[in-house]
Amino acid sequence: MKILTTVKKVVDVELNMHVKDGAIVQDGLQYVINAWDENAVEASVQLKEKNGAETTLVSIGGGDNTDMIRKCYAMGIDNGIHIEDPALNKADSAIFAKVLQKVYEKEKYDLVITGKQAQDTDSGQTGIMLAQYLGLPCVSNVISIEVTDDKHIKVSRLGDAGTEILEVELPAVVTVSDSINEPRLPQMRGIMMAKKKKINEMDLAALGTSADDVGAAAPKSEVIEFMASKVRKAGQKFEGAAAEIAAKVVNLLANEAKVF
Amino acid sequence: MAKVLVVADIKQGVLKGSTAELLSKAKAIGAETAVAAIGSKTEALIPELVKAGSDKQYIADAPGLELFSAGPYAACVADAAKQFGADMVWFGFSESGKASAPRVAAQLNAACATEITDVKLQGNQIEILRPAIANKVMQRVKVNSDKLVAVVRAGAFEAKEGIAGTQNVVKLSAPPADLKAAIKELISDASGEIDLADADIVVSVGRGAKDKAGVDLVKQLADDLKAGFGSSRAMVDGGFMAHNKQVGQTGKIVAPSLYIAVGISGAIQHLAGMTGSKVIVAVNKDPEAPIFNVADYGIVGDLFEVVPILREEIKKVRG
Repeated sequence: MKILTTVKKVVDVELNMHVKDGAIVQDGLQYVINAWDENAVEASVQLKEKNGAETTLVSIGGGDNTDMIRKCYAMGIDNGIHIEDPALNKADSAIFAKVLQKVYEKEKYDLVITGKQAQDTDSGQTGIMLAQYLGLPCVSNVISIEVTDDKHIKVSRLGDAGTEILEVELPAVVTVSDSINEPRLPQMRGIMMAKKKKINEMDLAALGTSADDVGAAAPKSEVIEFMASKVRKAGQKFEGAAAEIAAKVVNLLANEAKVF
Repeated sequence: MAKVLVVADIKQGVLKGSTAELLSKAKAIGAETAVAAIGSKTEALIPELVKAGSDKQYIADAPGLELFSAGPYAACVADAAKQFGADMVWFGFSESGKASAPRVAAQLNAACATEITDVKLQGNQIEILRPAIANKVMQRVKVNSDKLVAVVRAGAFEAKEGIAGTQNVVKLSAPPADLKAAIKELISDASGEIDLADADIVVSVGRGAKDKAGVDLVKQLADDLKAGFGSSRAMVDGGFMAHNKQVGQTGKIVAPSLYIAVGISGAIQHLAGMTGSKVIVAVNKDPEAPIFNVADYGIVGDLFEVVPILREEIKKVRG
């Protein structure tokens, strides 16, 4: 079985963000692996351990991704592809999906696992669009994957009415929720081995495509401005005897906020 | 005149409030409106769909559509969008919407945006607003395509009174089942529970509740208030609360009139799911807990002591 996992480097959401002149101030920001992609990596490695698989990751953009990709190697990923091309600087989800389509078509995989969304955009489109472009079945927001035979997996996803169980024919694309697993911490042996591994660095030409071909010359949407979010102000905070402050807050809810 | 197709948000046969909210917004920007209702027994919802503000109703009603399957669902929406000649297709904030929007966009060769909070239309130029990076910033996005498929963030638009539309039903043919991603079973969420997405009041429980006894205590407060009962990630991971109760960036996004966070410290991922609430109350032992930075009313104290008193006091004011 061949598994392709997508990994994106994103801004660390735990840090404070500031916006100036329509852009995010880069000072003091750090970039980390997208948390949901880390779940996708863990899911791939678990399938490899259980059923045997060759695991490949692909990452688009992000500049120097060496540390992030080595971390994934240390977790158990076998091969890494990194695509960097200035033509992709303004890419939207559809363009990323087109690039991933090219990556997929080069090698063909049995299963593609992506995080359900990236923490920087919170869009959640790329994996699903990739499946559309490839004409493959796709299940999103997946919380478990089980290989049933050479050609099928059984997955569960969190839907609106409950947990949905699906039988999926391979090849397929799944996007995973963070409820699927707890990503492992790389062990020393893995970290040492990861240092020796190569990363397959490519631009669009090396991938056998071009900006026009993947639609990067004309994105369907583009961010024209970042703005600060409306920040909620801290309101009144009460300390003291529980009976007294709880009664005070209920009184305020009734008479000031008028929610009761 | 721009044409907006709203995909009706239907859960277990019930039409959700977001449908009227989206239709109200579509009318407010001067668009011609239609609604697509996809599922089983959706024909019965036609009067409600008209009342919600739609001027045309595309109805896909088939037993095979009872369980959600993204492929056929998206195919119905794309079919309705093409027949209507929609410039925009809007989904309410739901897992089915999130799963379907990128498929519909790919099929219509349209731009796609999720979690939008506003739409502006100038001539044919569409511009949207959406939060990003766990709600820490807002993005203004210019749509370069003449078509947009979007998922609207919970609570972004308000339903207006007196927007009833006209009945004009178009039946959609049911698409074939997706045999390559076949839905086998639905393990339903407990019925009779108040849906977090609709609840006017939400009470959520966090790590501070420690165990099942703590969770049960907080649930009594939710029950008193007939509130939706939500959770932080910690209590889901701990096995005390179901996945579908998780509020936050990765779970449900809620915007009720009143949100009461009990024993929740307020990690950024949780805040991303609830700061759209009108009034926020927090109960936490730790006076430095980040939840107090967003709370209108903060109670510093032990929830095991505070919650029973809150229940008593609320009973007094609500009678």
